[in-house]
Amino acid sequence: MNLLEVEGLSKVYLRKDGSAQVVLSNINFNIKKGECFTIIGPNGSGKTTLLRILALLEKPTSGKIYFKGEEITALSKKDIINYRRKLSFVRQKPVVLNTSVYKNIAYGLKIRGMDPELIDKKVKEIIEIVGLKGLEDKNARALSGGEMQRVAIAMNFIFEPELYLLDEVSANLDSKNLKLLEQFISKIKDDEDKTIILSTHDKLEAIKFADRIGVLIDGSISQIGHPNEVFTVPKDEFTALFVGYENIFSGKAMIDQKSGLSIIKINDITITASSLVEGDVKVCIRPESIGISKKSPEKVSYRNTFKAIIKEIRDLGNICHLVVKCNNERFLIAITKLSLANLNLAQNSEVYINFKATDVTIL
Amino acid sequence: MVNEILQGIIEALILIFTFDPEVWNVILLSLRVSGTAILIATIISLPISSYMALRNFPGKKFLTNLINTFMGFPPVVMGLIIFLLLSKSGPFGFLGLLYSPTAMIIAQLFLAIPIIIGTTKAALESVDPNIKETILSLGSTETQLWWELIKESKRSIIAGILVAFGQAISEVGAVMIVGGNIRWYTRTFTTAIVLQTRMGEFGMAIALGLLLIAITFLINYALTHLQMGEKK
Repeated sequence: MNLLEVEGLSKVYLRKDGSAQVVLSNINFNIKKGECFTIIGPNGSGKTTLLRILALLEKPTSGKIYFKGEEITALSKKDIINYRRKLSFVRQKPVVLNTSVYKNIAYGLKIRGMDPELIDKKVKEIIEIVGLKGLEDKNARALSGGEMQRVAIAMNFIFEPELYLLDEVSANLDSKNLKLLEQFISKIKDDEDKTIILSTHDKLEAIKFADRIGVLIDGSISQIGHPNEVFTVPKDEFTALFVGYENIFSGKAMIDQKSGLSIIKINDITITASSLVEGDVKVCIRPESIGISKKSPEKVSYRNTFKAIIKEIRDLGNICHLVVKCNNERFLIAITKLSLANLNLAQNSEVYINFKATDVTIL
Repeated sequence: MVNEILQGIIEALILIFTFDPEVWNVILLSLRVSGTAILIATIISLPISSYMALRNFPGKKFLTNLINTFMGFPPVVMGLIIFLLLSKSGPFGFLGLLYSPTAMIIAQLFLAIPIIIGTTKAALESVDPNIKETILSLGSTETQLWWELIKESKRSIIAGILVAFGQAISEVGAVMIVGGNIRWYTRTFTTAIVLQTRMGEFGMAIALGLLLIAITFLINYALTHLQMGEKK
Protein backbone atom coordinates (compact mmCIF):
# COMPACT_ATOMS: atom_id res chain seq x y z
CA MET A 1 0.00 0.00 0.00
CA ASN A 2 1.10 3.54 -0.62
CA LEU A 3 1.97 5.58 2.42
CA LEU A 4 1.04 8.83 0.75
CA GLU A 5 -1.11 9.55 -2.26
CA VAL A 6 -1.43 12.99 -3.75
CA GLU A 7 -4.28 13.54 -6.17
CA GLY A 8 -4.82 16.58 -8.34
CA LEU A 9 -3.26 18.94 -5.82
CA SER A 10 -3.35 22.64 -6.72
CA LYS A 11 -2.54 25.80 -4.85
CA VAL A 12 -3.51 29.23 -6.06
CA TYR A 13 -2.72 32.43 -4.18
CA LEU A 14 -4.75 35.55 -4.73
CA ARG A 15 -2.53 38.54 -5.25
CA LYS A 16 -3.50 41.91 -3.77
CA ASP A 17 -4.56 43.21 -7.18
CA GLY A 18 -7.00 40.31 -7.46
CA SER A 19 -5.04 38.29 -9.99
CA ALA A 20 -4.30 34.65 -9.30
CA GLN A 21 -0.85 33.16 -8.85
CA VAL A 22 -0.75 29.46 -9.52
CA VAL A 23 1.91 27.94 -7.28
CA LEU A 24 1.05 24.28 -7.76
CA SER A 25 -1.12 22.81 -10.45
CA ASN A 26 -2.50 19.32 -10.65
CA ILE A 27 0.19 17.47 -8.72
CA ASN A 28 -0.17 13.69 -8.62
CA PHE A 29 2.18 11.18 -7.06
CA ASN A 30 2.28 8.21 -4.74
CA ILE A 31 4.91 7.41 -2.20
CA LYS A 32 5.60 3.96 -0.86
CA LYS A 33 6.50 3.20 2.72
CA GLY A 34 10.24 3.21 3.21
CA GLU A 35 10.93 5.14 0.06
CA CYS A 36 13.09 8.22 -0.37
CA PHE A 37 11.33 10.47 -2.82
CA THR A 38 13.24 13.52 -3.96
CA ILE A 39 11.53 16.57 -5.37
CA ILE A 40 13.96 18.48 -7.51
CA GLY A 41 13.21 21.84 -9.03
CA PRO A 42 14.54 25.36 -9.44
CA ASN A 43 13.95 28.03 -6.79
CA GLY A 44 10.37 29.23 -6.80
CA SER A 45 9.01 26.10 -8.45
CA GLY A 46 6.69 25.35 -5.53
CA LYS A 47 8.72 22.78 -3.57
CA THR A 48 8.29 24.47 -0.21
CA THR A 49 4.55 25.03 -0.75
CA LEU A 50 4.12 21.37 -1.64
CA LEU A 51 5.89 20.22 1.52
CA ARG A 52 3.99 22.74 3.63
CA ILE A 53 0.73 21.36 2.29
CA LEU A 54 1.89 17.81 3.04
CA ALA A 55 2.65 18.96 6.62
CA LEU A 56 -0.86 20.48 6.75
CA LEU A 57 0.58 23.91 7.46
CA GLU A 58 -1.28 25.17 4.44
CA LYS A 59 -4.50 24.13 2.74
CA PRO A 60 -4.50 23.18 -0.93
CA THR A 61 -6.87 25.09 -3.20
CA SER A 62 -8.01 21.79 -4.62
CA GLY A 63 -6.96 18.16 -4.61
CA LYS A 64 -6.68 15.44 -2.04
CA ILE A 65 -3.94 13.83 -0.01
CA TYR A 66 -4.23 10.36 1.47
CA PHE A 67 -2.01 9.07 4.25
CA LYS A 68 -2.29 5.30 4.68
CA GLY A 69 -5.51 5.47 2.74
CA GLU A 70 -7.09 8.14 4.92
CA GLU A 71 -7.81 11.53 3.46
CA ILE A 72 -5.84 14.06 5.47
CA THR A 73 -7.05 17.13 3.65
CA ALA A 74 -10.36 16.79 5.50
CA LEU A 75 -9.26 15.99 9.03
CA SER A 76 -10.62 17.39 12.28
CA LYS A 77 -8.33 19.60 14.38
CA LYS A 78 -7.48 16.76 16.71
CA ASP A 79 -6.67 14.38 13.87
CA ILE A 80 -4.49 17.02 12.22
CA ILE A 81 -2.33 17.06 15.36
CA ASN A 82 -2.22 13.25 15.39
CA TYR A 83 -1.11 13.28 11.75
CA ARG A 84 1.52 15.97 12.35
CA ARG A 85 2.94 13.87 15.17
CA LYS A 86 3.75 11.18 12.63
CA LEU A 87 5.97 13.47 10.63
CA SER A 88 8.89 15.78 10.93
CA PHE A 89 9.06 18.90 8.80
CA VAL A 90 12.57 20.26 8.61
CA ARG A 91 12.90 23.61 6.95
CA GLN A 92 15.69 25.30 5.11
CA LYS A 93 16.29 27.93 7.78
CA PRO A 94 16.86 26.48 11.23
CA VAL A 95 14.29 27.66 13.76
CA VAL A 96 14.89 27.14 17.46
CA LEU A 97 12.80 28.14 20.44
CA ASN A 98 13.81 30.83 22.89
CA THR A 99 14.93 28.38 25.54
CA SER A 100 17.84 26.12 26.41
CA VAL A 101 19.39 23.67 23.97
CA TYR A 102 18.19 20.80 26.11
CA LYS A 103 14.57 22.01 26.24
CA ASN A 104 14.58 22.69 22.51
CA ILE A 105 15.65 19.15 21.71
CA ALA A 106 13.29 17.65 24.28
CA TYR A 107 10.28 19.68 23.10
CA GLY A 108 8.91 17.25 20.51
CA LEU A 109 9.06 14.38 23.00
CA LYS A 110 7.65 16.44 25.85
CA ILE A 111 4.53 17.49 23.97
CA ARG A 112 4.00 13.87 22.99
CA GLY A 113 3.79 13.11 26.68
CA MET A 114 6.79 10.81 26.83
CA ASP A 115 8.12 9.64 30.18
CA PRO A 116 10.61 12.27 31.49
CA GLU A 117 13.28 9.68 32.24
CA LEU A 118 13.10 8.31 28.72
CA ILE A 119 13.18 11.86 27.31
CA ASP A 120 16.29 12.57 29.33
CA LYS A 121 17.98 9.46 28.02
CA LYS A 122 17.10 10.19 24.40
CA VAL A 123 18.04 13.87 24.59
CA LYS A 124 21.41 13.07 26.14
CA GLU A 125 22.01 10.48 23.44
CA ILE A 126 21.29 12.79 20.55
CA ILE A 127 23.18 15.70 22.13
CA GLU A 128 26.21 13.43 22.13
CA ILE A 129 25.66 12.49 18.48
CA VAL A 130 25.26 16.04 17.23
CA GLY A 131 28.18 17.25 19.33
CA LEU A 132 26.41 19.78 21.53
CA LYS A 133 27.69 18.40 24.81
CA GLY A 134 28.38 21.14 27.35
CA LEU A 135 25.91 23.51 25.70
CA GLU A 136 22.74 21.89 27.11
CA ASP A 137 21.84 24.80 29.37
CA LYS A 138 22.71 27.57 26.93
CA ASN A 139 19.90 29.45 25.21
CA ALA A 140 19.66 28.03 21.70
CA ARG A 141 19.22 31.50 20.20
CA ALA A 142 22.56 32.56 21.64
CA LEU A 143 24.44 29.86 19.74
CA SER A 144 26.44 30.25 16.55
CA GLY A 145 24.65 29.58 13.26
CA GLY A 146 26.24 26.16 12.88
CA GLU A 147 25.39 25.08 16.42
CA MET A 148 21.84 26.32 15.99
CA GLN A 149 21.53 24.16 12.88
CA ARG A 150 22.60 21.15 14.91
CA VAL A 151 19.96 21.92 17.54
CA ALA A 152 17.37 22.15 14.75
CA ILE A 153 18.50 18.82 13.29
CA ALA A 154 18.38 17.13 16.70
CA MET A 155 14.97 18.53 17.64
CA ASN A 156 13.41 17.41 14.37
CA PHE A 157 14.92 13.95 14.27
CA ILE A 158 14.67 12.92 17.91
CA PHE A 159 11.06 11.76 17.89
CA GLU A 160 11.67 9.35 15.00
CA PRO A 161 8.46 9.89 13.01
CA GLU A 162 7.26 7.74 10.14
CA LEU A 163 7.55 10.48 7.56
CA TYR A 164 10.28 13.05 7.10
CA LEU A 165 9.64 16.15 5.05
CA LEU A 166 13.00 17.75 4.41
CA ASP A 167 12.78 21.10 2.66
CA GLU A 168 16.12 22.11 1.13
CA VAL A 169 17.69 21.21 4.43
CA SER A 170 21.23 21.17 3.17
CA ALA A 171 21.06 24.58 1.50
CA ASN A 172 22.62 26.61 4.32
CA LEU A 173 24.66 23.96 6.09
CA ASP A 174 28.38 24.13 6.59
CA SER A 175 30.32 21.03 5.58
CA LYS A 176 30.47 19.60 9.10
CA ASN A 177 26.71 19.86 9.60
CA LEU A 178 26.03 18.62 6.09
CA LYS A 179 27.90 15.44 6.95
CA LEU A 180 25.91 15.10 10.15
CA LEU A 181 22.61 15.58 8.33
CA GLU A 182 23.59 13.06 5.66
CA GLN A 183 24.40 10.57 8.40
CA PHE A 184 20.91 11.03 9.80
CA ILE A 185 19.29 10.73 6.38
CA SER A 186 21.29 7.61 5.54
CA LYS A 187 20.25 6.07 8.83
CA ILE A 188 16.59 6.79 8.16
CA LYS A 189 16.93 5.47 4.63
CA ASP A 190 18.18 2.16 5.98
CA ASP A 191 15.07 1.85 8.13
CA GLU A 192 12.32 0.39 6.01
CA ASP A 193 9.58 1.86 8.18
CA LYS A 194 10.71 5.43 7.60
CA THR A 195 9.76 7.41 4.54
CA ILE A 196 11.51 10.52 3.30
CA ILE A 197 10.36 13.28 1.00
CA LEU A 198 13.28 15.55 0.32
CA SER A 199 13.21 18.71 -1.75
CA THR A 200 16.31 20.20 -3.28
CA HIS A 201 17.55 22.26 -6.18
CA ASP A 202 20.83 20.42 -6.10
CA LYS A 203 21.00 17.65 -8.65
CA LEU A 204 23.74 15.68 -6.93
CA GLU A 205 21.94 15.71 -3.62
CA ALA A 206 18.80 14.51 -5.34
CA ILE A 207 20.66 11.62 -6.92
CA LYS A 208 22.47 10.72 -3.73
CA PHE A 209 19.43 9.79 -1.66
CA ALA A 210 16.62 9.31 -4.13
CA ASP A 211 14.87 6.04 -4.80
CA ARG A 212 12.69 8.06 -7.13
CA ILE A 213 12.85 11.63 -8.31
CA GLY A 214 10.01 14.00 -9.10
CA VAL A 215 10.90 17.03 -11.16
CA LEU A 216 8.86 20.09 -10.18
CA ILE A 217 9.01 22.99 -12.61
CA ASP A 218 6.74 26.03 -12.42
CA GLY A 219 4.32 24.28 -10.11
CA SER A 220 3.88 21.16 -12.20
CA ILE A 221 5.53 17.79 -11.94
CA SER A 222 7.14 17.29 -15.31
CA GLN A 223 8.51 13.84 -14.64
CA ILE A 224 8.65 11.15 -12.00
CA GLY A 225 11.00 8.24 -12.24
CA HIS A 226 14.08 6.46 -11.07
CA PRO A 227 17.13 8.72 -11.04
CA ASN A 228 18.75 7.12 -14.05
CA GLU A 229 15.54 7.44 -16.03
CA VAL A 230 15.10 11.13 -15.22
CA PHE A 231 18.68 11.99 -16.00
CA THR A 232 19.09 9.96 -19.16
CA VAL A 233 15.62 10.31 -20.64
CA PRO A 234 14.23 13.67 -19.51
CA LYS A 235 10.65 13.92 -20.63
CA ASP A 236 10.81 17.37 -22.11
CA GLU A 237 13.16 20.17 -22.89
CA PHE A 238 12.48 22.06 -19.66
CA THR A 239 13.28 19.03 -17.57
CA ALA A 240 16.38 18.36 -19.61
CA LEU A 241 17.55 21.95 -19.28
CA PHE A 242 17.08 21.97 -15.57
CA VAL A 243 18.30 18.55 -14.54
CA GLY A 244 20.94 18.10 -17.20
CA TYR A 245 21.97 14.65 -18.36
CA GLU A 246 23.77 12.21 -16.18
CA ASN A 247 24.59 8.49 -16.13
CA ILE A 248 23.77 7.19 -12.70
CA PHE A 249 24.52 3.75 -11.30
CA SER A 250 24.31 2.14 -7.90
CA GLY A 251 27.04 -0.24 -6.89
CA LYS A 252 29.42 -1.51 -4.28
CA ALA A 253 32.82 0.11 -3.99
CA MET A 254 36.07 -1.16 -2.64
CA ILE A 255 39.58 0.18 -2.65
CA ASP A 256 42.12 -1.58 -4.79
CA GLN A 257 45.32 -1.50 -2.75
CA LYS A 258 47.57 -2.14 -5.75
CA SER A 259 46.40 0.78 -7.89
CA GLY A 260 45.19 3.02 -5.08
CA LEU A 261 41.91 3.49 -6.90
CA SER A 262 38.33 2.54 -6.14
CA ILE A 263 36.73 -0.38 -7.92
CA ILE A 264 32.97 -0.21 -8.15
CA LYS A 265 30.97 -3.27 -9.06
CA ILE A 266 27.75 -2.44 -10.86
CA ASN A 267 25.95 -5.66 -11.73
CA ASP A 268 27.99 -7.03 -14.63
CA ILE A 269 30.45 -4.22 -15.10
CA THR A 270 33.22 -2.80 -12.96
CA ILE A 271 34.09 0.86 -12.97
CA THR A 272 37.33 2.37 -11.74
CA ALA A 273 37.17 5.71 -9.98
CA SER A 274 39.86 7.95 -8.57
CA SER A 275 38.13 9.02 -5.35
CA LEU A 276 38.55 6.55 -2.53
CA VAL A 277 35.34 5.07 -1.16
CA GLU A 278 34.01 1.81 0.12
CA GLY A 279 30.52 0.39 0.51
CA ASP A 280 27.25 1.18 -1.25
CA VAL A 281 27.64 4.18 -3.53
CA LYS A 282 26.03 5.98 -6.37
CA VAL A 283 28.15 6.79 -9.37
CA CYS A 284 27.67 9.62 -11.88
CA ILE A 285 29.33 9.99 -15.25
CA ARG A 286 28.47 12.93 -17.45
CA PRO A 287 27.52 11.99 -21.03
CA GLU A 288 30.07 14.50 -22.38
CA SER A 289 32.86 12.75 -20.45
CA ILE A 290 32.40 9.48 -22.29
CA GLY A 291 34.38 8.99 -25.47
CA ILE A 292 33.55 6.49 -28.15
CA SER A 293 35.75 4.51 -30.54
CA LYS A 294 35.25 1.75 -33.05
CA LYS A 295 38.23 -0.28 -31.95
CA SER A 296 39.42 -1.14 -28.51
CA PRO A 297 41.82 1.66 -27.66
CA GLU A 298 45.33 0.69 -26.73
CA LYS A 299 47.74 2.55 -24.50
CA VAL A 300 45.37 5.33 -23.54
CA SER A 301 44.78 7.04 -20.20
CA TYR A 302 41.20 5.87 -19.87
CA ARG A 303 40.84 3.51 -16.93
CA ASN A 304 37.36 2.48 -18.06
CA THR A 305 36.76 0.87 -21.44
CA PHE A 306 33.71 -1.23 -22.25
CA LYS A 307 32.43 -2.93 -25.32
CA ALA A 308 28.88 -1.77 -26.09
CA ILE A 309 26.15 -1.70 -28.70
CA ILE A 310 24.41 1.45 -29.89
CA LYS A 311 20.72 1.12 -29.17
CA GLU A 312 19.46 4.55 -30.06
CA ILE A 313 20.68 7.76 -31.67
CA ARG A 314 18.94 11.01 -30.75
CA ASP A 315 19.55 14.01 -32.96
CA LEU A 316 19.84 17.24 -30.92
CA GLY A 317 21.11 19.53 -33.66
CA ASN A 318 24.88 19.79 -33.74
CA ILE A 319 25.25 17.16 -31.04
CA CYS A 320 23.80 13.69 -30.72
CA HIS A 321 22.89 11.56 -27.78
CA LEU A 322 23.71 7.91 -28.11
CA VAL A 323 22.13 5.35 -25.87
CA VAL A 324 24.43 2.35 -25.70
CA LYS A 325 24.08 -0.91 -23.89
CA CYS A 326 26.98 -2.57 -22.19
CA ASN A 327 26.01 -5.93 -20.73
CA ASN A 328 22.80 -4.90 -19.05
CA GLU A 329 23.74 -1.32 -18.21
CA ARG A 330 22.65 1.61 -20.30
CA PHE A 331 24.89 4.62 -20.91
CA LEU A 332 24.00 7.98 -22.40
CA ILE A 333 26.79 9.51 -24.43
CA ALA A 334 26.94 12.96 -25.97
CA ILE A 335 29.06 13.38 -29.11
CA THR A 336 29.11 15.89 -31.93
CA LYS A 337 27.31 15.13 -35.16
CA LEU A 338 30.65 15.41 -36.91
CA SER A 339 32.09 12.56 -34.84
CA LEU A 340 29.01 10.49 -35.51
CA ALA A 341 29.58 10.91 -39.24
CA ASN A 342 33.35 10.41 -39.07
CA LEU A 343 33.03 7.19 -37.10
CA ASN A 344 30.20 6.08 -39.33
CA LEU A 345 28.06 5.08 -36.39
CA ALA A 346 24.57 3.66 -36.70
CA GLN A 347 22.10 1.76 -34.61
CA ASN A 348 23.40 -1.64 -33.52
CA SER A 349 27.00 -0.66 -34.30
CA GLU A 350 29.48 -2.26 -31.99
CA VAL A 351 31.63 0.34 -30.22
CA TYR A 352 33.92 0.88 -27.26
CA ILE A 353 33.06 3.49 -24.68
CA ASN A 354 35.84 5.09 -22.69
CA PHE A 355 36.02 7.37 -19.70
CA LYS A 356 38.63 8.40 -17.18
CA ALA A 357 38.63 7.34 -13.55
CA THR A 358 38.74 11.04 -12.65
CA ASP A 359 35.49 11.65 -14.52
CA VAL A 360 33.58 9.30 -12.26
CA THR A 361 31.76 11.25 -9.55
CA ILE A 362 30.96 9.23 -6.49
CA LEU A 363 28.08 10.22 -4.22
CA MET B 1 7.82 81.83 45.82
CA VAL B 2 11.30 80.28 45.61
CA ASN B 3 11.33 80.22 49.35
CA GLU B 4 7.99 78.43 49.36
CA ILE B 5 9.22 75.80 46.96
CA LEU B 6 12.39 75.20 48.98
CA GLN B 7 10.35 74.97 52.13
CA GLY B 8 8.02 72.54 50.35
CA ILE B 9 10.89 70.27 49.29
CA ILE B 10 12.35 70.22 52.81
CA GLU B 11 8.91 69.45 54.21
CA ALA B 12 8.47 66.72 51.59
CA LEU B 13 11.74 65.03 52.53
CA ILE B 14 10.77 65.14 56.19
CA LEU B 15 7.38 63.57 55.37
CA ILE B 16 8.99 60.83 53.29
CA PHE B 17 11.76 59.92 55.69
CA THR B 18 9.66 60.09 58.85
CA PHE B 19 7.25 57.67 57.19
CA ASP B 20 4.27 59.99 57.68
CA PRO B 21 1.18 57.78 58.11
CA GLU B 22 -0.95 59.78 55.69
CA VAL B 23 1.71 59.60 52.97
CA TRP B 24 1.96 55.87 53.53
CA ASN B 25 -1.79 55.51 53.37
CA VAL B 26 -1.83 57.24 49.98
CA ILE B 27 1.05 55.15 48.64
CA LEU B 28 -0.41 51.83 49.74
CA LEU B 29 -3.90 52.68 48.51
CA SER B 30 -2.61 53.79 45.09
CA LEU B 31 -0.51 50.65 44.72
CA ARG B 32 -3.38 48.45 45.88
CA VAL B 33 -5.95 50.02 43.58
CA SER B 34 -3.76 50.09 40.47
CA GLY B 35 -2.16 46.74 41.27
CA THR B 36 -5.53 45.02 41.68
CA ALA B 37 -6.91 46.67 38.55
CA ILE B 38 -3.92 45.56 36.46
CA LEU B 39 -3.96 42.04 37.87
CA ILE B 40 -7.65 41.56 37.03
CA ALA B 41 -7.20 43.29 33.67
CA THR B 42 -4.35 40.91 32.82
CA ILE B 43 -6.40 37.86 33.76
CA ILE B 44 -9.27 39.08 31.57
CA SER B 45 -7.11 40.32 28.69
CA LEU B 46 -4.77 37.37 28.15
CA PRO B 47 -7.40 34.91 26.90
CA ILE B 48 -9.17 37.56 24.82
CA SER B 49 -5.97 38.78 23.18
CA SER B 50 -4.80 35.20 22.62
CA TYR B 51 -8.06 34.32 20.93
CA MET B 52 -7.85 37.43 18.79
CA ALA B 53 -4.23 36.78 17.84
CA LEU B 54 -4.52 33.06 17.09
CA ARG B 55 -7.97 32.63 15.61
CA ASN B 56 -9.82 34.07 12.70
CA PHE B 57 -13.44 34.98 13.24
CA PRO B 58 -15.95 37.31 11.65
CA GLY B 59 -15.70 40.84 13.01
CA LYS B 60 -12.05 40.43 14.02
CA LYS B 61 -11.02 43.58 12.18
CA PHE B 62 -13.83 45.60 13.74
CA LEU B 63 -12.95 44.34 17.22
CA THR B 64 -9.29 45.18 16.65
CA ASN B 65 -10.22 48.70 15.64
CA LEU B 66 -12.45 49.01 18.66
CA ILE B 67 -9.68 47.86 21.00
CA ASN B 68 -7.24 50.28 19.40
CA THR B 69 -9.69 53.14 19.85
CA PHE B 70 -10.23 52.25 23.49
CA MET B 71 -6.47 52.13 24.10
CA GLY B 72 -6.54 55.91 24.00
CA PHE B 73 -9.89 56.34 25.72
CA PRO B 74 -10.06 59.63 27.74
CA PRO B 75 -9.89 58.62 31.43
CA VAL B 76 -12.20 61.45 32.49
CA VAL B 77 -14.91 60.11 30.22
CA MET B 78 -14.34 56.60 31.58
CA GLY B 79 -14.73 58.10 35.08
CA LEU B 80 -17.97 59.74 34.02
CA ILE B 81 -19.35 56.47 32.58
CA ILE B 82 -18.46 54.45 35.68
CA PHE B 83 -19.87 57.25 37.85
CA LEU B 84 -23.20 57.13 35.99
CA LEU B 85 -23.33 53.35 36.21
CA LEU B 86 -22.55 53.24 39.94
CA SER B 87 -24.45 56.34 41.07
CA LYS B 88 -27.53 55.78 43.19
CA SER B 89 -29.90 56.19 40.27
CA GLY B 90 -27.69 54.17 37.91
CA PRO B 91 -28.17 50.49 36.97
CA PHE B 92 -25.51 49.32 39.48
CA GLY B 93 -26.34 51.88 42.14
CA PHE B 94 -27.68 49.16 44.43
CA LEU B 95 -24.15 47.87 44.91
CA GLY B 96 -23.26 51.04 46.79
CA LEU B 97 -19.79 51.11 45.29
CA LEU B 98 -19.49 54.77 44.38
CA TYR B 99 -16.73 56.66 46.23
CA SER B 100 -14.95 53.45 47.22
CA PRO B 101 -11.59 51.92 46.26
CA THR B 102 -13.59 49.24 44.39
CA ALA B 103 -15.08 51.91 42.13
CA MET B 104 -11.58 53.20 41.39
CA ILE B 105 -10.41 49.66 40.62
CA ILE B 106 -13.31 49.24 38.20
CA ALA B 107 -12.49 52.52 36.40
CA GLN B 108 -8.79 51.66 36.07
CA LEU B 109 -9.68 48.12 35.05
CA PHE B 110 -11.66 49.31 32.06
CA LEU B 111 -8.89 51.73 31.10
CA ALA B 112 -6.24 48.99 31.35
CA ILE B 113 -8.03 46.14 29.56
CA PRO B 114 -7.79 47.63 26.04
CA ILE B 115 -4.14 48.53 26.59
CA ILE B 116 -3.22 45.03 27.72
CA ILE B 117 -5.32 43.33 25.04
CA GLY B 118 -3.82 45.58 22.35
CA THR B 119 -0.20 45.12 23.39
CA THR B 120 -0.50 41.38 24.10
CA LYS B 121 -2.25 40.73 20.80
CA ALA B 122 0.48 42.66 18.96
CA ALA B 123 3.16 40.76 20.87
CA LEU B 124 1.65 37.36 20.05
CA GLU B 125 1.15 38.33 16.42
CA SER B 126 4.70 39.57 16.05
CA VAL B 127 6.18 36.14 16.81
CA ASP B 128 7.98 35.00 13.65
CA PRO B 129 5.54 32.80 11.66
CA ASN B 130 8.41 30.35 11.12
CA ILE B 131 8.60 29.80 14.86
CA LYS B 132 4.85 29.30 15.03
CA GLU B 133 4.96 26.75 12.23
CA THR B 134 7.94 24.97 13.71
CA ILE B 135 6.07 24.55 16.99
CA LEU B 136 3.02 23.27 15.09
CA SER B 137 4.97 20.89 12.89
CA LEU B 138 6.74 19.44 15.94
CA GLY B 139 3.27 18.21 16.86
CA SER B 140 1.95 20.71 19.39
CA THR B 141 -1.72 21.06 20.26
CA GLU B 142 -3.32 24.48 20.13
CA THR B 143 -2.84 24.98 23.87
CA GLN B 144 0.81 23.92 23.67
CA LEU B 145 1.32 26.33 20.77
CA TRP B 146 -0.33 29.13 22.75
CA TRP B 147 1.88 28.53 25.75
CA GLU B 148 5.03 28.55 23.60
CA LEU B 149 3.95 31.78 21.91
CA ILE B 150 3.34 33.39 25.32
CA LYS B 151 6.83 32.31 26.33
CA GLU B 152 8.30 33.60 23.05
CA SER B 153 6.70 37.02 23.53
CA LYS B 154 6.75 37.28 27.32
CA ARG B 155 8.98 40.35 27.34
CA SER B 156 6.62 42.34 25.14
CA ILE B 157 3.63 41.14 27.12
CA ILE B 158 5.18 42.19 30.43
CA ALA B 159 6.13 45.52 28.85
CA GLY B 160 2.48 46.08 27.90
CA ILE B 161 1.33 45.27 31.42
CA LEU B 162 3.88 47.70 32.88
CA VAL B 163 2.72 50.45 30.53
CA ALA B 164 -0.86 49.85 31.65
CA PHE B 165 0.21 50.00 35.29
CA GLY B 166 2.12 53.24 34.73
CA GLN B 167 -0.94 54.80 33.12
CA ALA B 168 -3.25 53.56 35.85
CA ILE B 169 -1.21 54.86 38.77
CA SER B 170 -0.64 58.28 37.23
CA GLU B 171 -4.23 58.72 36.03
CA VAL B 172 -6.22 61.39 37.87
CA GLY B 173 -9.57 62.16 36.20
CA ALA B 174 -11.38 58.87 36.57
CA VAL B 175 -10.30 58.08 40.16
CA MET B 176 -11.20 61.61 41.20
CA ILE B 177 -14.74 61.25 39.80
CA VAL B 178 -15.55 57.74 41.06
CA GLY B 179 -13.35 57.72 44.18
CA GLY B 180 -14.22 61.15 45.47
CA ASN B 181 -10.75 61.80 46.95
CA ILE B 182 -11.82 60.90 50.49
CA ARG B 183 -9.02 61.28 53.03
CA TRP B 184 -7.71 57.94 54.45
CA TYR B 185 -10.11 56.06 52.15
CA THR B 186 -9.93 56.89 48.44
CA ARG B 187 -7.15 59.44 48.27
CA THR B 188 -4.45 58.40 45.80
CA PHE B 189 -1.20 60.02 44.68
CA THR B 190 -2.76 62.00 41.92
CA THR B 191 -5.92 63.15 43.65
CA ALA B 192 -3.93 64.11 46.74
CA ILE B 193 -1.48 66.17 44.70
CA VAL B 194 -4.36 68.05 43.05
CA LEU B 195 -5.96 68.80 46.41
CA GLN B 196 -2.78 69.76 48.32
CA THR B 197 -1.66 72.04 45.52
CA ARG B 198 -5.02 73.81 45.56
CA MET B 199 -4.77 74.20 49.33
CA GLY B 200 -1.20 75.53 49.06
CA GLU B 201 0.20 72.57 51.03
CA PHE B 202 3.18 72.18 48.76
CA GLY B 203 5.19 69.95 51.10
CA MET B 204 2.71 67.11 50.89
CA ALA B 205 2.16 67.67 47.15
CA ILE B 206 5.89 67.63 46.37
CA ALA B 207 6.48 64.59 48.57
CA LEU B 208 3.77 62.63 46.76
CA GLY B 209 4.96 63.96 43.39
CA LEU B 210 8.52 62.76 44.09
CA LEU B 211 7.29 59.33 45.13
CA LEU B 212 5.06 59.00 42.06
CA ILE B 213 7.97 59.97 39.83
CA ALA B 214 10.11 57.39 41.63
CA ILE B 215 7.53 54.69 40.91
CA THR B 216 7.15 55.63 37.24
CA PHE B 217 10.94 55.78 37.00
CA LEU B 218 11.16 52.23 38.33
CA ILE B 219 8.58 51.08 35.78
CA ASN B 220 10.47 52.72 32.94
CA TYR B 221 13.72 51.30 34.20
CA ALA B 222 12.16 47.84 34.12
CA LEU B 223 10.83 48.52 30.60
CA THR B 224 14.21 49.62 29.28
CA HIS B 225 15.78 46.60 30.91
CA LEU B 226 13.27 44.35 29.17
CA GLN B 227 13.87 45.97 25.80
CA MET B 228 17.63 45.76 26.19
CA GLY B 229 17.27 42.09 27.05
CA GLU B 230 15.23 41.56 23.90
CA LYS B 231 18.11 42.72 21.74
CA LYS B 232 20.62 40.35 23.28
